[in-house]
Amino acid sequence: MTTPPAVRIRGAGKRYPSLTRRGKLNSLKGALLHGELWRRQRSGEGFLALADVDLEVARGETVALIGPNGSGKSTLLKLVSGILHPTSGTVDVAGRVTALIELGAGFHPEITGRENAIINGMMLGMSRSEVMGRLPDIIEFSGIGPFIDQPVKTYSSGMYVRLGFAVAVAPEPDVLVVDEILAVGDEAFAHKCLDRITGLQRNGTAILLVSHDLGLVEAMAQRALYLREGRPVFLGSARAAVSRYRADVASEEAGQGPAKASAKRWGNQAVTLDTVELVDTEGAPIQVIRSGEPATLRLAYSVREPQEDFVFGIAVHSEDGTDVYGTNTDIEGWQPQELSGRGEMRIEFPSLELAPGRYLVDAAVHTRLGMAFDYACEVCSFLVTAPVVWPGCYAPRHHWRPDGPVMLPPAE
Amino acid sequence: MSATGLNPGIIPSLVKQRGLVAVLVERELKARYRGTLLGYVWSLVNPLLLIAVYAVVFTLVIPARIPSPVPYPLFLFAGVLPWLFATGSLLDAAVVLPDNGPLLKKVVCPPEVFPAVTVSSHLVHHLLALPILLAVMVAYTVAGRMSFSWTIVLLPLVLALWVITFGGLSLAVAALAVHFRDLKDLLHNLLNLLFFMSPIIYMPDSVPEGTLRNIVHANPVTPLIVLYRGVAVEGHVPQASWWGWAIVVAGASWLFGAFVFSRLRDSIAETV
Repeated sequence: MTTPPAVRIRGAGKRYPSLTRRGKLNSLKGALLHGELWRRQRSGEGFLALADVDLEVARGETVALIGPNGSGKSTLLKLVSGILHPTSGTVDVAGRVTALIELGAGFHPEITGRENAIINGMMLGMSRSEVMGRLPDIIEFSGIGPFIDQPVKTYSSGMYVRLGFAVAVAPEPDVLVVDEILAVGDEAFAHKCLDRITGLQRNGTAILLVSHDLGLVEAMAQRALYLREGRPVFLGSARAAVSRYRADVASEEAGQGPAKASAKRWGNQAVTLDTVELVDTEGAPIQVIRSGEPATLRLAYSVREPQEDFVFGIAVHSEDGTDVYGTNTDIEGWQPQELSGRGEMRIEFPSLELAPGRYLVDAAVHTRLGMAFDYACEVCSFLVTAPVVWPGCYAPRHHWRPDGPVMLPPAE
Repeated sequence: MSATGLNPGIIPSLVKQRGLVAVLVERELKARYRGTLLGYVWSLVNPLLLIAVYAVVFTLVIPARIPSPVPYPLFLFAGVLPWLFATGSLLDAAVVLPDNGPLLKKVVCPPEVFPAVTVSSHLVHHLLALPILLAVMVAYTVAGRMSFSWTIVLLPLVLALWVITFGGLSLAVAALAVHFRDLKDLLHNLLNLLFFMSPIIYMPDSVPEGTLRNIVHANPVTPLIVLYRGVAVEGHVPQASWWGWAIVVAGASWLFGAFVFSRLRDSIAETV
């Protein structure tokens, strides 16, 4: 990547001082008597909300932060937006940051929507004339109409957040930080918000998103950082991070604690994938395949505890992380019966119509709720070759048909 | 922008944010008077009532043995008015950051803006009350009990010293009050004590010589009041030593306030 990232976080951590009464009194005494007030919080004191986070977000990229409550997602957002400062490591942000953490935060109830919009806009870093120039758009987007000149205390909660959102996205920030706010407003406005955010994505805004709506995360983010108890667990494609998180949640609900895990492989190992490989029609493993030729993915498994609820799934992505294809037995309607002993699951592709390049395969066995037995990322890779280096990842069979002899076909 | 870099200085930051400070002051004033019938008259009632009470008490009930060079109510007015600016700023500064917690925690907003807004809006109130002081002076002049003096043109200079002093102290109070909520109550009592330690209802030289007078003279608020009253109503320019003392007070207060505030600045958003 040649352009510098919009957000660069290196080894960032945040420790909150403990705010007990005793601590405060001591510090007041210390402050008054010994000038101790600004002495750095001694390491080890207080609550470590976030540690060792490394993350870069490129312009135009959307990265989601996922994880259970209290995992440090919001703290990380506040570090990026500059509201908080890291106690270790560095957080560098290029350009203007806008934080959508609480819509309409700081609206003053007694003054009008218009006046509040101007003040909020200026707080977001716009000059007064800039805000005035964008005010018609802001009012239009919020859909508040004539109420804009009424005191904000007369607004419904929906009007409040609509105006808040309209102001917040007006500055067209370089970096946008979004904390679980798309759940507000009615369906129509939620769509309008999403639409606006995708517009910003296209214009090169880097977005950091916190959401518990994992479907939204998969739809909007290219990558996701899964945090747990303030520490990064997994950073990768949004899909893989979400499935990793789901797997942990499911196995915790099943009372088994977080699944045994490494960065690229996790699961409780009641079923394990022993081999995942691409084989040709003869059953011989292959690493290189010509585009359009038949191939089969073979998942050899062994079962430690027989299962009645299981799903086999695969996903293919290119080396830069772009999703190419993914499916599983459950979404295609296969009913699990019983899984025991050893065996293999095969998925046959009569014609693997992929553009030339290297592809990576993730394979998994999990329950229908997503609790992983074995989830293996990038467990197998293969190279697709073709006579022509087509761009993209899909290479369907095709024929050019000129209308008459206007062109000559290529020489064989 | 680097979140780990050094803070920009308070003054450059405020210069950069002057537009925001201005609209926030406007909001403060608008919000305060919206929905009231008498509007800004209310901000005059408070000082006028206070002055009326003191004037009645010290001229009729216990006639003051104060050789006041100008009519006593006017003398009192010129002391109480800037004092109310100072105490109003400090007491509001003690709550301004917690009150604006949502902005500090949910929007990226430089915290020094808020004490600046507090001090500025009290300054605006002060300026709005000045015409009344002038009107009273004109009335006394017409009645032949005093004469209007050119020294009033020095008032902006003196006011600047007041603003620097209490601007600085408000910064310190605002930042410290985030960590120590008791500060507000402590401040209330301190200011009450300081009111009587300052030559507001009496002349600095009408205090009996000795410890008491030394205390009044050592009180850093004394030179500010002497200067204000001297140029505004008494019609003379106080001695250079009062000016020197006042400039030292203003400079020291500002440096102290800016130092405390910038040291605590980063911890404000997470503590309020």
